[in-house]
This record gives sequence, structure tokens and C-alpha cells, in this order.
Amino acid sequence: MATLEIKNLHARVAEEDGEQILRGVDLEVKSGEIHALMGPNGSGKSTTSKIIAGHPAYEVTDGEILLHLEDDDFGDVEIPDDARTWNLLELEPNERAALGIFLGFQYPAEIEGVTMTNFLRTALNAKIDEREELLFGEDDDEEAEEEAGYDTSPMEGNVDDGEVGVAEFQKLLKEKMDLLDMDEKFMQRYLNAGFSGGEKKQNEVLQAAILEPSIAVLDEIDSGLDIDRLQDVSKGINALRDEQGTGILQITHYQRILEYVEPDHVHIMLDGKVVKSGDASLASELEDKGYDWVREEVYEAA
Amino acid sequence: MSAQLPANLSAETVREISDARDEPEWLLEARLEALEALDELELPDVIQTPGRRWTNLEALDFESLVDPLNQADETTRESPEGVVVLPFTEALDEYGDLIEERFGSVVAPESNYLTALSAALFTTGTFIYVPEGVDAEDVKIRAEMNSRSLFSHTLVVTEKSSSVTILEAVESGDSVDDARYFSNLVEIDAGENSYVQYGSLQNLDEETYTYSLKRADADTYSTVNWIEGNLGSRLTRSDVETELNGEASETKIVGAFFGHDDQHLDVNARVWHKAENTTADLVTRGVLDDEARSVYEGVQDVGRDAWSTNSYQRENTLMLSDQSEADASPKLIINNHDTEASHAASVGQVDAEDLFYMVSRSIPEEQARNMLVEGFFVPVLEEIAVDEFRDDLEELIAARLR
Repeated sequence: MATLEIKNLHARVAEEDGEQILRGVDLEVKSGEIHALMGPNGSGKSTTSKIIAGHPAYEVTDGEILLHLEDDDFGDVEIPDDARTWNLLELEPNERAALGIFLGFQYPAEIEGVTMTNFLRTALNAKIDEREELLFGEDDDEEAEEEAGYDTSPMEGNVDDGEVGVAEFQKLLKEKMDLLDMDEKFMQRYLNAGFSGGEKKQNEVLQAAILEPSIAVLDEIDSGLDIDRLQDVSKGINALRDEQGTGILQITHYQRILEYVEPDHVHIMLDGKVVKSGDASLASELEDKGYDWVREEVYEAA
Repeated sequence: MSAQLPANLSAETVREISDARDEPEWLLEARLEALEALDELELPDVIQTPGRRWTNLEALDFESLVDPLNQADETTRESPEGVVVLPFTEALDEYGDLIEERFGSVVAPESNYLTALSAALFTTGTFIYVPEGVDAEDVKIRAEMNSRSLFSHTLVVTEKSSSVTILEAVESGDSVDDARYFSNLVEIDAGENSYVQYGSLQNLDEETYTYSLKRADADTYSTVNWIEGNLGSRLTRSDVETELNGEASETKIVGAFFGHDDQHLDVNARVWHKAENTTADLVTRGVLDDEARSVYEGVQDVGRDAWSTNSYQRENTLMLSDQSEADASPKLIINNHDTEASHAASVGQVDAEDLFYMVSRSIPEEQARNMLVEGFFVPVLEEIAVDEFRDDLEELIAARLR
């Protein structure tokens, strides 16, 4: 069981006189749990998610983000004792992803010329390689990478490169797409290019399903979805938790998705801090009373 | 601003070239006329921005670059059934009359100093003839340049309702000390309702200065599609042009370049709409790394009689380093109001959010950047009809990234 532990996280925009956005975020998400992170615009929810993933636009000024791993987190892969706690802030974004952190984007990038199949298979193989290297310090595949460069193709990717071969990957992808009720035609399309808003969000959940993260942070995965798509996406999120034991940190403005993806914990952010936490009933209470209620309660108590 | 005529260049030199190849009198005369014209001709125009002349052709020292009597190349030609693909000299025996009629009809030798020099001195090149109704795929010409200078002239003639796809690739063979000069003129005379795709892949060593002018004359209902790939040479000046002379003729001019080190690329795409219902699509994608520079000019010229014209132009340059430089000038000249046209150019770096998206999925940053660059070229790769050309271009791009 993995645990993402955010302690006293302070961060600002990484530029001269950059605005301070996070002012002491504390949060803990474990595998298999579903957390909802709610809060008004500008409270720091999205920033929190981007900093967990390692977005270069922000600078952490205080606090830490730790990832604790346990035996069963990577299936059969044994995790050495000295590689069980990681300070994410010291890792590159791709290394964080390799250890099981996933960020579902509010606005996924549209990338022409890179097919879904190529992208996802490359990502899956890169994840396996990088994780090996982080856990066991193996670094002998550099040569292989260089050689593989000549067999690359923007349409298909490195045909005979990586742990997961083309045929095996196609099977995996089809399986996950079926689960999400996604059309197979997406496999040969360019990454998010020309996708509708809903298709992009579905694709984020699909990517999580393929990469099997320990902790998935989903930034407004529900915004702009019609009811059918919302149900598909919710089904996908529940499957991540139920079938892969992924811990979910779901950022949302709305109660709506929480009817389909029931949270174990609800947190409310205000002004760069988590100010209130509770169970699923907190979300309904918030829906009724609004953020002013939280604000009053928090600042009066202070 | 004409260049200095090389001292080693005379009517005698030209005669010697022509005699050695046992050429007909008319070709010798054409060469001599071109030679004579050199005195009066100017170098091709280059883009100027305030305080800067982007490509300094005047600095080329033709006297040391041009060695007319020692030209050498190793060229292989593959041709499918039904189409004539011959070295220029050999073709004269059987197709002399046709060549005499069409030679220089699309690219006039006196167009500028460099075309005249090429016409006077060329020793290699190919004649491609596609008879009426013949469909020919995958004509492949691979040339290796083995001398200080090499001048090539290619003439493509397609008869009514024929079609052909062509790959022309040029690279360096034997190494020669010091700088080299490669000149390549290509003329396409596209007959009524014919289809030509002419793909060109230039990957000469980085001691070479390359000048290339390719131009097509598109007859009624014909289509001429160019794919122009430039990865080699120290300096490349490339002009790819189509005159849409026939009603309802079409052209695509698709270009890809990838410069690194201190390579200089001056690439140009031009189309003249001269008849009704003509369509043009100009697409160029370029990548620059290290201290490479590129300058692009794209011209869509819609003539007075070109009613109901469609004309589109896009150029995108991607910079991989802070030291690279690019300039782009898309130009639209419209003399007929019944035109649908667009033109756009952009110069930028790899999108930081695209990169972060990929990296957040475990892909290491450099690999992610490479995938984005390869993806950037896909719109060009998708246009290529000759598989071998697409594979080669992909491979060269991949190799340059790693």
C-alpha cells in the first residue's frame, strides 16, 4: 500500500516576485482511498496537483511531499528496504510518474503526429525502465536506447523496443478501452488532437488505467462532461480503485461527480491551505451552504 | 550584383564538356548561350530584413568551388515498366527531339547567374518520360557526389493522363578536402490531366554549398506535388516553384528541413496561379538546432485571369536551441478577387506544456522532445508516396535527434 504524504507545502510561481499560492498544505492519500479536494477558484487545488507531478512553473518554498511504498505496490517487483520512502521534490517529473504518481490534466495537451498507441506504449515501457533504475540503480540500458533510436517511427514507435511488445500492448489497450467504452479508432489517432472535451477526459482515465499508478491526482476530470461521459469516466475511476488499488485524489468544483465516485474523504482548500476535512457528507454540506460558510467557520475559529 | 566569373571557365571548357558527351549541336549552343549570359546575370534574390541580408550568396567563391572538368557522380536509377528513366546524355540518342523542344522551357537557363552556370556546365541528371496513360510508381534516383563541384539537370515530361511518383536523393560520396558546390535544376512539364509527385532528399556533407531550383509547368487538370527534404549541406538555397498554367491544375509544395551545427537553410516555395479553378497548398516544416539558421519565403501569386482560386500556405519553424535563428516571409499577391486564400507562418520552441504532459507520463524529457519533433514532421511524412523516401527521411530525422 502506497501513501502520498504532503506536509506543510508552501509554493509560489517560479518567477521573480512570483505569487505565493500554497501556504502550508497538509494531505495524506493512501492506495485504495478516494479523496475529493474541493475549493473555490484560486484556492490552490490545481497548483497542488501540478506540484505533486513536478510542474516546472512552481517553486516549492517550504514543506515536503513524500511517497511511501510497501511490498505489494509494484506487483511482483520487490522493493528494496532503502527505496521505500521517496522525497518527490528531489525527483524529475518522469521519475515521479515511474514510482506511481499520475496526474490527470484539466486541459490535456493536443499532440499532432504522435499516435495514442505509440505514446502509451512508449510511456508504459519508459515507466518500467525508469522504475527499475530508481529501485535497483540499474543503468545499463543506455546503449540499447541509442540503438533503438534508428528503428523509431512517429506512427508506430520503437517497434522492437521495450518490455511490452506491440502485440501485448494492443491487447492491453483494447481491454482498457472496452472498460471505458472507448472506440478502438482512438488507438491510431493522434494524442488528443481533435478530441472533444469529453474524449480527452476519457483518455486521461484510460492512460491511468494503462500506467496503473499507485496514486492518481485527477484535476477537474468532471468539468464539461455530459451525463453519459461522466458515467463512463466515473466507472473508469472506480475501476482504478477497485481493480488496481489506486489511491485517488480528485479535484472538483462540483458535487455532481461525487454521486458516481463516492469519496472516503473530502477536503476543502481555502487560500492555499486545506482548512477542513471530513467524510462524504462534507461535500453535500458544502453544496448546501457554500464556501462562505467554510470561510466564516475557519476564520472565526482562528 | 553579379558574381565574379571563375577564371577557369571559358567557351573552351564548355565545348570540352559537350564534346566528351558527344552532344548534339543545339545543346552545345544552349550551353554557350548560358555561359555568355553569365556576364549580365544577377544572383537570385535573397530575403532582407532591416540591417540584414540573410543569405550571402556573394560570398561564394566560385573560382575555387567550381571545377567544371572534374565532375564525378555515381548515380543509380530504378524505373518501373512503361516509363523512360535515363541519364540525360543517353536519353539524347532516342529522345533528342523531345528534349530539344522541352529543355529549358520551364527553367530558363538565363533565370539567374546560378541557373546559367548550371546549364552551361551540367554533366549529370536524368530524363524522365511518362507516355500517355502510363501509371508509374516509385521511380528512384540516387546520386552520390564525388567531386568538388557537380551540376545536375533533370527534365520530367508527363504526357496526357499519365502519373508518376519519383524520389531523387543526393548525398556525398568520396570526401574532398575543402568546400564543394552542388547545383541541381529540375524541370517538370506536366501534361494535361497528368499527376507527378517529385520527392527530393538532399543530405550532402556539411562542406557543401547547394543551390537547387525546381519548377513545374502544370497543364490543364494536372497535379504537381513536390516534397522537398533538406538535411545536408553547409548552405542550402532551395527554390521550389509551380506555375499553374492550365485550368483546374493543382499543386502542393511540401517541405521539411532540419538544420544543426552552423548550417544555413534558405528555402522558398512559390506558386503562380495563372488560370481558372487552380488550387495550391504550400506546407513547410522546419527544425533548427545548435546555431543553425533558416530563412523562408513563400509566395502565392494569383494572376488576373485566375478566377475561382484556392491557395493556402503554412510554414512552421521549431527551434531547439537559443542560438538558432529563423525568418519567415509568407507573401500573398492577389490580382483576382474571386480567391480563397490563407497564409501563415510561425517560429517557436517546443511547447512547454506539451513536454510536461509527456514527461508526466514517465517519458524522459529528451525522449519526449524527440517524439514531439518527429511528430512535428508527420504532416510532411504523410504526403510522401514513395515508401523508401519516407523511411529515409524518418531515419535521418531520428538520427539527427540522437
